[in-house]
Amino acid sequence: MRTRQNIQSGILQVLAGAVVALTAVACDTDVTNPGPIQDEFLNDASAQEALVSGMERAAGIALNWIAYTSAAIAREVHPSGSTGSFGITIKQQRGELIPEETSAYWNRAHRARFLTKDGIRRIESLDPSEQDQDALAEAYLLSGYSHRLLGESWCQGVIDQQPVANTAYLDIAEADFTTASQLGSGDVRTAAIAGRASVRAFTGDWSGAVSDAGQVPTSLRYIMPYFDIGDDVQSNRVHVSTKNEPYKAHTQWTTWIEDYGLSDNNPNGDPRVSYMVTDEDGDAAIDCCGTVPWWPQQKFPDNEAPIDLSAGEEMRLIEAENHLLNNRLTEAVSIINSLRTAAGMDEVNPATVNEGWTYLKRERAIELWLEGRRLADLRRWNDAGTPGELQPLEQVGDGNTNTGSHLLKRDFCYPIPDSETETNPNVRGG
Amino acid sequence: MKLPTFAALRLPRRLFGVAVVAALGVVFLAPRPTQAQNTGTVTGQVIDANTQAPMGSAQVYLEGTGLGTLTNQAGRFIILNVPAGSYTIRVDLIGHRAPDQQIDVPAGQTTEVNFSMETEALGLDEIVVTGTAGAARRREVGNTIAQVNLADVPEPPVSVDALLQARVPGMTVMQGSGGSGSGARIRLRGNVSVAMSNQPILYVDGIRVRSDSYAKNVPPVGYPGRSGNDVASPLNDINPADIERIEVIKGAAATTLYGTEAAAGVIQIFTKRGHTGRARWTAQIEQGMNRMQKFGVDPSTRPACQPGTGPAYGNTCVPEPAITASGGTSDYLFINPWLRGHLPSCDDVAAARRAPAGLFQRGWPDPTAADALQPCDNGFFSDLGAWQQRYSLSVAGGGEALQYFVSGAYENDEGMMPMDKEEKVIVRGNFTFAPSSDLQIQWNTSFTSDEISNTAAGNNAHGLTLNSFRRDRNYLADESFDAINPFTNQEITSDIEHLITGVTATYSPLSNQTNRLSVGFDQAQQENRNLRPFDFIRAPLGIIADARGEFTTLTLDYVGTLDFNLTEDLRSSFSWGGQSIATEIQATAAYGEDFAGPGEPVVNSAGTTLGFEYRERVVNAGFFVQNLFDFKNRYFLTAGLRVDGNSAFGEDLGLEAYPKVSASWVMSEESFWDPDWGQIKLRGAWGQSGRAPGAFDAIRTFEPVGWGGEPAFFPRNVGNPELGPERTSEIEVGFEGAFLDDRLAIDFTYYDQNTTDALFRVRQVASDGFFDVNNSSDQLENVGELSNKGVELSVSGVILRGENFGWELGGTLYTNKSKVTLPEEVPDFTAGDGWGWIQNGESVPVMRTDFCLPDPDALGVDPDDVEERHGTTRADGSVVDCTIGPNAPTHIIGGFTTVQLPYGITLSARGEYQGGNYIYDGAAWNAIRRSVIWPGCYDVYSTIADEGLNALTAKEKAQCLVEFNRADYRVYDRDFFKLREITASVPIPQSWLPWGEDATFTISGRNVWRWVNDDFPVFEPEMTNNNDNNPLSRDGVSSGAFLESSLLEHIPPPQTWTAAIRVSF
Repeated sequence: MRTRQNIQSGILQVLAGAVVALTAVACDTDVTNPGPIQDEFLNDASAQEALVSGMERAAGIALNWIAYTSAAIAREVHPSGSTGSFGITIKQQRGELIPEETSAYWNRAHRARFLTKDGIRRIESLDPSEQDQDALAEAYLLSGYSHRLLGESWCQGVIDQQPVANTAYLDIAEADFTTASQLGSGDVRTAAIAGRASVRAFTGDWSGAVSDAGQVPTSLRYIMPYFDIGDDVQSNRVHVSTKNEPYKAHTQWTTWIEDYGLSDNNPNGDPRVSYMVTDEDGDAAIDCCGTVPWWPQQKFPDNEAPIDLSAGEEMRLIEAENHLLNNRLTEAVSIINSLRTAAGMDEVNPATVNEGWTYLKRERAIELWLEGRRLADLRRWNDAGTPGELQPLEQVGDGNTNTGSHLLKRDFCYPIPDSETETNPNVRGG
Repeated sequence: MKLPTFAALRLPRRLFGVAVVAALGVVFLAPRPTQAQNTGTVTGQVIDANTQAPMGSAQVYLEGTGLGTLTNQAGRFIILNVPAGSYTIRVDLIGHRAPDQQIDVPAGQTTEVNFSMETEALGLDEIVVTGTAGAARRREVGNTIAQVNLADVPEPPVSVDALLQARVPGMTVMQGSGGSGSGARIRLRGNVSVAMSNQPILYVDGIRVRSDSYAKNVPPVGYPGRSGNDVASPLNDINPADIERIEVIKGAAATTLYGTEAAAGVIQIFTKRGHTGRARWTAQIEQGMNRMQKFGVDPSTRPACQPGTGPAYGNTCVPEPAITASGGTSDYLFINPWLRGHLPSCDDVAAARRAPAGLFQRGWPDPTAADALQPCDNGFFSDLGAWQQRYSLSVAGGGEALQYFVSGAYENDEGMMPMDKEEKVIVRGNFTFAPSSDLQIQWNTSFTSDEISNTAAGNNAHGLTLNSFRRDRNYLADESFDAINPFTNQEITSDIEHLITGVTATYSPLSNQTNRLSVGFDQAQQENRNLRPFDFIRAPLGIIADARGEFTTLTLDYVGTLDFNLTEDLRSSFSWGGQSIATEIQATAAYGEDFAGPGEPVVNSAGTTLGFEYRERVVNAGFFVQNLFDFKNRYFLTAGLRVDGNSAFGEDLGLEAYPKVSASWVMSEESFWDPDWGQIKLRGAWGQSGRAPGAFDAIRTFEPVGWGGEPAFFPRNVGNPELGPERTSEIEVGFEGAFLDDRLAIDFTYYDQNTTDALFRVRQVASDGFFDVNNSSDQLENVGELSNKGVELSVSGVILRGENFGWELGGTLYTNKSKVTLPEEVPDFTAGDGWGWIQNGESVPVMRTDFCLPDPDALGVDPDDVEERHGTTRADGSVVDCTIGPNAPTHIIGGFTTVQLPYGITLSARGEYQGGNYIYDGAAWNAIRRSVIWPGCYDVYSTIADEGLNALTAKEKAQCLVEFNRADYRVYDRDFFKLREITASVPIPQSWLPWGEDATFTISGRNVWRWVNDDFPVFEPEMTNNNDNNPLSRDGVSSGAFLESSLLEHIPPPQTWTAAIRVSF
């Protein structure tokens, strides 16, 4: 029979054992948690493919949002159900891009810049035998597009925390497109040349631009893909913002495309700028006009619709613009009409070079519709004082919101936003 | 070394069932008091010496025998089977004292002994355990300890949140909303951290229990507000009826021994224990109703014509209806057709549905259509409110070697909104074993099953609240009942199962040496199911998410104490110990969208499915030493040191040490003190404690994200190898006193705390581009400081004290002034979803807008012509400052009164005023910018119609006219007062209780009345999101994201009226 002392002694032994065992476990604070990937793991050769996918996601998201908001400022679309929390803000509805409302665009574009440059550094630091040259070429190509987006969209830039001109981004873009064209092959190489052509056109290097464009066939389409997976982050933002779920934030009502593009109201319209007529209104009142008809664009009909990064048609229009810059109307019109004919549209016959510029500007609006490029075109033509007219509803209105364009102002580029001026002492208050 | 996970320690459900059965078996098979022929019985009554009122729950025992019992509500007790002999009989009840008595118990006879207890306003020899190395007498403790004794709480508390509300000076209990299961955010002495959780850590019977909120029920992808946007609190998994007392320590001066995680304070809950003597059963039934106070604008104040119409605009007046097409009215912001207890009358519904089409705005039903099945109040008790029901049963008793307390509770509460409901079961078994005189083992276990259903609410475009408040500018452009009601066709349910079990062994091999070892296991398992079914109005193909989370905390705690006398007058008490707290979160989530058709789907019914997993483990381990010097039993000096390691520290950081020192002086025991002056103890304490960063904060990491189904890397955390805990130092001084023959009790504390190496989420330079998947680029850094200082005052007085009558009145005051100090290189940053900022020299957080008006009352001025941007320089060189004021209350005033009436009837009331702070109203701004005809602007619309636009001030235009509307102008003064509770308690005469010892009938009202500042046009101050820092809540993934509270599209907490009967037998 066990005595009370024996029982007590047994309990104490158990407790002492528990203390020793649990102390050994509990006092070790060295913990490895699964989930996030430590920085050095990305330096492994096996990470190259996922590095490039990350670059592409970052570049795709940056392009997504800038294409969408720039389209509204350029009046490629008109606000319908925009509230600011979804769709564009009241200031943006009026045509203004202001620092307190544009941080997210800047941040996303610079994430793409960081990831492309960081990924290139990691891949190039690998032993040459381990380097995936295709991945490296694609990384340079994505860097080129990311920097083109920054250079075309922002009024000024910041590199290495120092203020720079926006052209500094374009210089990097041009260099990276060049490297990509040297490393890559096939469509990657051709796209790099096409990307460089667009950068050179923007910066006024027309001989270089035309030289590059000449190497790109009209059939080229190099795209940024989007996906219908999980949530809207990977989806085409222009489509998400214009579709009937949940907000109907944008419409073609009271844009120049309302009368020009293909729709039930206009069955002979241009199929390159098509939209759908509905009997519904946008879900929220907008600044100019209250609730307005919701007639969504159809260029991007679903979440997976890609956005062209480079296309042969753009190259042809670079060549046409170069002809107009040199007063070669016939050659320019020939190119424009070749594109129109291919799209099933009537040819145009401008009588003057100025009239030719009007058609060229419209043709670029058609070919690059909703691709985040129109605002940059308007900006460079405005800076260069090129002749030709924009479509009336594409222009700034007279302040009377009942007639004509509802744009009260047009900003041509994004300012350095609050997120930068509040964190970077070199541009603080800038 | 990678440690094993807790998987191996997980308690299977079946094993838990076995444990419950075993526990119940122990209750019924426990050794009974020995039947002996030479025994007698001791019986008697304990009453209040002043009021003669019976005193329940007093512990009566025969010293040195293990025999004793608790008094019933009639104050009576009986101790059976007492061996014949002489005894010292003693009675204990917190806050009261009575002299011991000597009794003789003859064999076979009953000895009657009565106690008359004096109120002890200052219980200097009461034992407290929170914040001390072992148990300590109150006189020895150098810091303030707030206690809530359940015996003193008049109303049957519905939750621990509600129990704490307005009872502890220095504690702010912020109710989230009126949603079912919504927990409160608790702050002690303000926010002590900008980046980490400010929720105090929680102990239950010495075992660490998760205190941060559970995960919000939200799908793992998409907008993080597709939810009821409320979270439950683990604190409410404790049955209030099981609690004996709660101790609260509030600052670093007191929490030092808890180490790296205790800077925000400690709440320690002690549940009831068994006692020797026969089993004593207590049953309680409570029934009641929730009803909503008005939180909108009286419909009679509406403008005659809708804005933009009528003579003032030169066109036809479109009348603004008193009742909308859904039957909603502006005093409930049009959601009343869905609020239980507030349905519109059936006549009003019929009239609304018959309104001529086109008379009002879109959404009015076709007058030719048949009436829909819209709920309405037919006037015959069809719509009393949301039914509340609670049932509990407990039994306590035991023998010399084993005492037990076993309880069970069930509650079933309807919420105010149609899908809101909470059903909870809590069982508990507390067992005390004493295998020998020097060893005591306490095993306490509770299990809670909580099933919560919520209605989609908050800032949720698929939610009922948002779409009701926004009238015909909602996401259907339709305010009719038929249009909005489909938003209730969602399943948002949370099932929580929470097990807390712990064993504490106290071994005292010598009379002056004590060892205490606690091992605890706290595990909560949560399943969040979120279903928008096929054909759901805003997601026609349907969406489903099912997330399961497991939150585990393992406690290992050892404390040793050795007392010895250095001289005749000088005693030393040396304590040492170690503690390890390991917390782990394991969570998986499955997501699917696009069902093939209607039915009862599971995730794999969806066309597209995704899976997610999250794991986090943090270990904090440390040790401490402490010595207490006791000179002449009235001078006390305590010094201690805690040393901690934590797995979340940066790799370059070693152990962290936290010192403390405190002193107390019982001045009233000095020779110069006249005992007629009362009692007073002076005290002061200084100490440090910390708050560790999150599990992943120190490391530079990337995140695996997908892109088109391919793996892709994205930035996640910038990384900081030097990252360490923030360190809070605090000094507090004060006194506790009892005066005027114990009729007046005062407790005063001044505190001044300063957090250095504060963890600030420093925004990185944006153009560096290190933005994570949520588009944030910040890194925790130990920079800056923040401070909190203020006073806490608690006063209670017996105004009248007479036989069968008494009146007690008391109040509390708490002030807090907080300030942030940011180094120059750290820019101001936001802390919330509104206008909360962390800004140098301002409070934590401060409300600051981007734009402000130089003269808000200027007439005939358009806001956008005069508004100024914060931080810009005016022509005269001055800088625009749009800072408004603190977001957290700067002063809280509480008051209570208790009236004792003849026949044991008690009336009590308790109220609370919070003030000095401001809150952003996102819900109103969201509505007005969508051109909603907003009840909060009714007066402005009428002014425009009557006097024109020039009669409006700049602020009125900015608030109510969509063309000038900015969120900047929707920050309100948040002052409010609430009558938190009124209670009437009536004993039921014993003659009515043939089967029971005593019974009490109680009627209680909670949140029965409120006052809000005039600046608060609609809504009310306690309808905010209550999310805290929880990585599973998605929108709380960025620590500190919920430092600011702001108004969103919720309903306020309702009034609750209940009646309860408690019977003991």
